[in-house]
Amino acid sequence: MRVNPNPMPDLLAALNQTELEEQQAELQISTGKSVNEPSDNPGAAALLVENHDQATFTSGYLQSISAVQGQLSTASSTLSSITTAMQQVISLGVEGANGTLSASDQAAIVVQLQGIQSQLVSLANTTYQGNYVFAGTKTNTAPFVVDGASPSGVDYVGNTDVNEVSIGSGYKLAVNVPGSQLFSAPGNDVFLAVNNLIQALQTNTGIGTAVNAVSAASSYLSAQTVFYGNATDQTQSETTYLNAAQLQIAQQQNTLGGVDMATAASDLTQAQTDSQAALAAIGKLSQNNLFDYLT
Amino acid sequence: MSGLFGTLSTALSGLSVSQQEMETTSNNVANANTPGYTREVSEIAAGDPIELGSLSFGTGVVLEKIESLRDVMLQIQINQGTQQNSSLNASLTELQQIQTQFASSNSGIGADISNFFNSLQQLSPDPSNLTLRQSVLTAADTLATDFNTVAQSLQTQSGNIDQSVVQSVSQVNSLTSQIASVDQQISDLQSVNQSPGTLIDQQNNLIQQLSRLIDVQVIPTGQGITLATSNGTTLVSGSLSFALTTQASGGVQHIFAGSQNITSSLTGGSLAGLIQVRDQEIPSISSSLDQLAAGLATNLNAANAQGFDLNGNQGGNIFAPPPAGGVGAAATLTVSMTDPSLIAASSDGTSGSNGNLANLSAVADTALANGQTPINAYSNLVGQVGSATSNTSADASASNMILQQLQDQNGSVSGVSLNEEASNLIQFQNAYQAAARVVSAVNLLLLDAVNLGMDQAEQ
Repeated sequence: MRVNPNPMPDLLAALNQTELEEQQAELQISTGKSVNEPSDNPGAAALLVENHDQATFTSGYLQSISAVQGQLSTASSTLSSITTAMQQVISLGVEGANGTLSASDQAAIVVQLQGIQSQLVSLANTTYQGNYVFAGTKTNTAPFVVDGASPSGVDYVGNTDVNEVSIGSGYKLAVNVPGSQLFSAPGNDVFLAVNNLIQALQTNTGIGTAVNAVSAASSYLSAQTVFYGNATDQTQSETTYLNAAQLQIAQQQNTLGGVDMATAASDLTQAQTDSQAALAAIGKLSQNNLFDYLT
Repeated sequence: MSGLFGTLSTALSGLSVSQQEMETTSNNVANANTPGYTREVSEIAAGDPIELGSLSFGTGVVLEKIESLRDVMLQIQINQGTQQNSSLNASLTELQQIQTQFASSNSGIGADISNFFNSLQQLSPDPSNLTLRQSVLTAADTLATDFNTVAQSLQTQSGNIDQSVVQSVSQVNSLTSQIASVDQQISDLQSVNQSPGTLIDQQNNLIQQLSRLIDVQVIPTGQGITLATSNGTTLVSGSLSFALTTQASGGVQHIFAGSQNITSSLTGGSLAGLIQVRDQEIPSISSSLDQLAAGLATNLNAANAQGFDLNGNQGGNIFAPPPAGGVGAAATLTVSMTDPSLIAASSDGTSGSNGNLANLSAVADTALANGQTPINAYSNLVGQVGSATSNTSADASASNMILQQLQDQNGSVSGVSLNEEASNLIQFQNAYQAAARVVSAVNLLLLDAVNLGMDQAEQ
């Protein structure tokens, strides 16, 4: 059979192909990615978009969690201070109920209680990064306002709304308890109980009952504190979960679009060898023909 | 018996035919690298013998014809292969350019969508924070700008393709008129019984160049050739060529043969590849982007309207409302909100409420018109662009190989082999020398015969 006397186009095509493979391998090694453009692996390229979305959200949730944790811990430590203050109120009340106190001592207790009362108002008006923690969602105004005309001595001007923050995909966490629920719950109104105790001491009647009421309100408040403990626990376990997820997402990303350096390096060597072979073939392409031997 | 003069004439025929054969060889060698050149061979035959009684005497050799060796079927296949190959390569070049817009998963529209929704997530623990609110608007701006950039680059590319289409059409016209004029020369030569071998080579070469641009079929007729596109549009008929024209319609250049629009019926050549990308791929990608941009803008505006801004007013638009039907939404997507306090994070009118952020965030999980969430829609688009490019690339490689093989086959039939020509040259040279030797022998014999007469006269 007659062969094609001009093999040059074939050899050039082969050279072109090996150079392309060389470039491909070099690109993979230099970028560390096997998917440098969507056509390298369309399925993986599409999944990498979703993988990056998951990675963004996972680190986003972690960031939200630290913001929420600051808020939760402020609220929680404020509540412990309030609980401590309430214990003090109770002991002062018990002391006042002791019929042996002089009128001036009684008056001194009242002054002390009034001090605690205003301390309680100030604690209930605690802020975190400029926002009132116990105001429901009306976080831009102090929720408890002193009002002498009110039986409890204060008015609640916050609202009863609760904010929820997503700390995971489809995982919403309530991050606040409205001050009205904590401090002004009907039957367990902290401010009313303290105010009543002060009045009882001033009039010297029903002090025991008033102390019991303070004690009940204090227990109720302690029970409410559990909310913040629970919420903090939830953010902590979610953090553990998200950290693990983050690792998995990074691994997935590597599986989808990462480069196995050993393979890429061996591909590059192979392509270079092929390329040299093609070059050698072109170089040695029969430079002689029969005409050279004609005399 | 024809005598010495007969022998001389026989030897002369050998000389002249050998010389002509060497001329053919020389022409082959000279054209060894001429594109489209087909090697020629001389066909020779023994001259008609003279019958004398029971004896038959040869009268030498005659050159019957000089023939170009070509395989017509193979050339048709090469033309078809070239058309398919050029179409795929033209598509591939454009698609590779398109996919650079979708190359990175860490930046671009996909990452922008993720970042925007993440900025809403970050606002949620502290909804009245103006810095966090500003990040939401900044993320929205980046998203809109990237939509604009990609949509505009697609439009620019479509415009560039348009220019290529116009240039290609003018090249087609130039080639068809050359082919027609060569055809005229061929029929002129044929009418005086001369071999048009090299002109046919030239014509075939032109047809092959034409095949790179447009799908043409060669229909041999009594009078020269007819070239027609696969949908039957005649480009060349004998010595007449019919120019194609381009005309803008619907924002892109359409190709007309006379009054007939043949734009969408081209099936091969770079024109078909370019038009396929310009009229199918780019509009499809643009429309997906428009759908995504319009869906996001509409849904986010609607979600914002459900809540209250920092001043307690009902939320307004974050994005300028996309055009009705969404056409052009990606290119024109703009954030109309400039004051971060206008983000309606609140569901109860207080500044501390984040209730409506849930509605805004929910847009990330809300199916758009095509039934996919925004990030899924974008991820599918990336997959779609990647697949189109990778499939075209695979098809183009396959078609390169097929074309290469066809050209190899054609080379094995029509290519000039220098070894072959050298061996022919030896053969023809020897034949010439032998014939010359015969002439010289006859010359001596004739001299003897003449001298013999002279001798007798002297005696």
